[in-house]
Amino acid sequence: MNPYIMALLLFGLGLGTTITFASSHWLLAWMGLEINTLAIIPLMAQHHHPRAVEATTKYFLTQATAAAMLLFASTTNAWLTGEWDIQQMSHPLPTTMITLALALKIGLAPMHSWMPEVLQGLDLTTGLILSTWQKLAPFALFLQIHPNNSTILITLGLASTLVGGWGGLNQTQLRKILAYSSIAHLGWMTLVLQFAPSLTLLTLLTYFVMTFSAFLVFKLNKATTVNSLAISWAKTPILTSLAPLILLSLGGLPPLTGFLPKWLILQELTKQGLPLLATFAALTALLSLYFYLRLSYAMTLTMFPNNLAGSAPWRFHSPQLTLPLAVSTATAILTLPLAPAAMALFAP
Amino acid sequence: MLKILIPTFMLIPTTWLTPAKWLWPTTLAQSFIIALASLTWLKNLSETGWSCLSTYLATDALSTPLLVLTCWLLPLMILASQKHTALEPVNRQRMYITLLTSLQFFLILAFGATELIMFYVMFEATLIPTLIIITRWGNQTERLNAGTYFLFYTLAGSLPLLVALLLLQNNTGTLSLLTLQYSNPLPLVSYADKLWWAGCLLAFLVKMPLYGVHLWLPKAHVEAPIAGSMVLAAVLLKLGGYGMMRMMIMLEPLTEKLSYPFIIFALWGVIMTGSICLRQTDLKSLIAYSSVSHMGLVAGGILIQTPWGFTGALILMIAHGLTSSALFCLANTNYERTHSRTMILARGLQMVLPLMATWWFIASLANLALPPLPNLMGELMIITSLFSWSWWTLALTGAGTLITAAYSLYMFLMTQRGPLPPHLIALEPTHSREHLLILLHLLPLMLLTLKPELIWGWTA
Repeated sequence: MNPYIMALLLFGLGLGTTITFASSHWLLAWMGLEINTLAIIPLMAQHHHPRAVEATTKYFLTQATAAAMLLFASTTNAWLTGEWDIQQMSHPLPTTMITLALALKIGLAPMHSWMPEVLQGLDLTTGLILSTWQKLAPFALFLQIHPNNSTILITLGLASTLVGGWGGLNQTQLRKILAYSSIAHLGWMTLVLQFAPSLTLLTLLTYFVMTFSAFLVFKLNKATTVNSLAISWAKTPILTSLAPLILLSLGGLPPLTGFLPKWLILQELTKQGLPLLATFAALTALLSLYFYLRLSYAMTLTMFPNNLAGSAPWRFHSPQLTLPLAVSTATAILTLPLAPAAMALFAP
Repeated sequence: MLKILIPTFMLIPTTWLTPAKWLWPTTLAQSFIIALASLTWLKNLSETGWSCLSTYLATDALSTPLLVLTCWLLPLMILASQKHTALEPVNRQRMYITLLTSLQFFLILAFGATELIMFYVMFEATLIPTLIIITRWGNQTERLNAGTYFLFYTLAGSLPLLVALLLLQNNTGTLSLLTLQYSNPLPLVSYADKLWWAGCLLAFLVKMPLYGVHLWLPKAHVEAPIAGSMVLAAVLLKLGGYGMMRMMIMLEPLTEKLSYPFIIFALWGVIMTGSICLRQTDLKSLIAYSSVSHMGLVAGGILIQTPWGFTGALILMIAHGLTSSALFCLANTNYERTHSRTMILARGLQMVLPLMATWWFIASLANLALPPLPNLMGELMIITSLFSWSWWTLALTGAGTLITAAYSLYMFLMTQRGPLPPHLIALEPTHSREHLLILLHLLPLMLLTLKPELIWGWTA
């Protein structure tokens, strides 16, 4: 792609999210979301591969539906209460509609099925943008509307952790697994949204760090299936030994970073008198852990001198910069001892 | 505590910076020095029962024996692993020692923690090194299955524990072991409280393991390399018993009634797993099932909640830790020579490895609780406290002891006595390393008969 056009698109991507961040008026927030969507569409389709075009179309249709629903809900809100302000949502009907629209936008179950399909059609860089940066603007809105219907949020959250775990179980494609992992993590964020929005933010940040490392590891190894992951020890031996820790951190095993948000969320849920929900949510995390564990098996724990799961391909030295990967990997593995600081900052 | 923790942590740089030729001797020496230094914990002079207090860590009479056992085991694991890792590239060997060291680090933090949440985090943290040891260095492909079983059994039990601990924190405002016993007793009456009780104990019962949720243990033992089996039998199972003893003080009024099914399961498990041992063909699997059987007795002793029960449980945990670890080492000396765990293929070894037969003899006797050894003291105390609760338990515990004697004899006769099969005549002779390894297991066990109050726990 022409670098000028690329720069313009990336600028649009940033601009859309920033407009949504900064807006207090629903129309402006909707505009930011639309700019954001329109900027990423050419990025997604840049390789002109039929699968990429299909993914782009699917993404465009779902995002347009969600944005239209959002616009409809906010005009309904204005019509019912005479208020365009994001923070002043008082009527339950538009609030619920907006909650559902945003859920569709970020891919919470049961509105999740576009997410694995779209992510599978993209290259890893665009996929990374889709599963991190594109979540920011909807979450900024989510955090501001103070949804008051707890049943919907809990249903969405629990369904997402469950579906995120369940759907990933029989996948062999890394991007689909990452999509399901994203769905499960978003479910955790939604569960705690109405009780402690700051914890949602913490979970989002740790998820970004962990998924950033995971995407970069896969990108460095040019791996998109479990099989191609199984021969990565020949390309990046040290990273191969660290990758299971990144994956198990995504799965939320202590003493890795991924345990921190889960711990704080469970604490908040028990504090709110929902111990059964907390237990159930914790047990659904085991489903996700299963496929992370299977990836670790394939990648590291069955490597040489055992029988190989694939044949080594011809490879070139990767020009990818590894410093961001090093930083994010260290953060994704080692920050659980910062738990007291995180609690002081984020837990209410 | 830091006097032990920092040298343990510094074992990792030692491992990576030592020249390859000196890798094993250096790490062995350093871990031995750590183990010797850890013996100072046994001298507990404080009046409150807690000593070596720091912000998050302390030792008391209950945790000290387990901490010392943990520190004692690392040099033994290093000693035991030299042969089977010798053919691997040196960086893999270093990685292996690093994993063992990190496991010891987490275990010290788990046993030394004064906060229950810290104990929980470290309890879980031991999973990752153990998982990697089993699934990366195991021998058969079934090791992956064993690793999955190990991880998911433990986690499915312990995630409810996390929620239960957080609930406890909401109710009492603290999770510190130092103050928890002085907080107001919880009004435990409702149905939800009973679920909470189950949540508090389930994780530890799975880890022990209680009969019925024990399936992960034989798999993990059979597939793990020798160091993995040793640490699993000697220390990791004891996390369950230790955690139960710690939680018991909070569960006071409910345990009396709710523990009945679990005591029955534990004692029934003693008989069942003992009987499974009697028809085992796989040596490591036999030792693993014998562990389940002994830990069933420990679970019964803890759930009965008398001082004798607790003391007996702690004594049996330490004694079983040393004994079963020694048995796994002995099984491994056979495995390294015959490359098979099947007992029928390695008979009559007394003829070729006579000194090993002596060690087998002593270890089997320890396993069946021969008189003056601490194994007998622990079993007797548990059996007595169970007997004073109900006479009927004697039928189960007595039969259990008998079956233990029977399968220990079966194991000894099967491996050591009888004619030597022709395919075993050219066996490699034993090394002094292996004799040292077994001696360092059995010597502490025998010396403990002279000063058993070191492992009596709170009663001493």
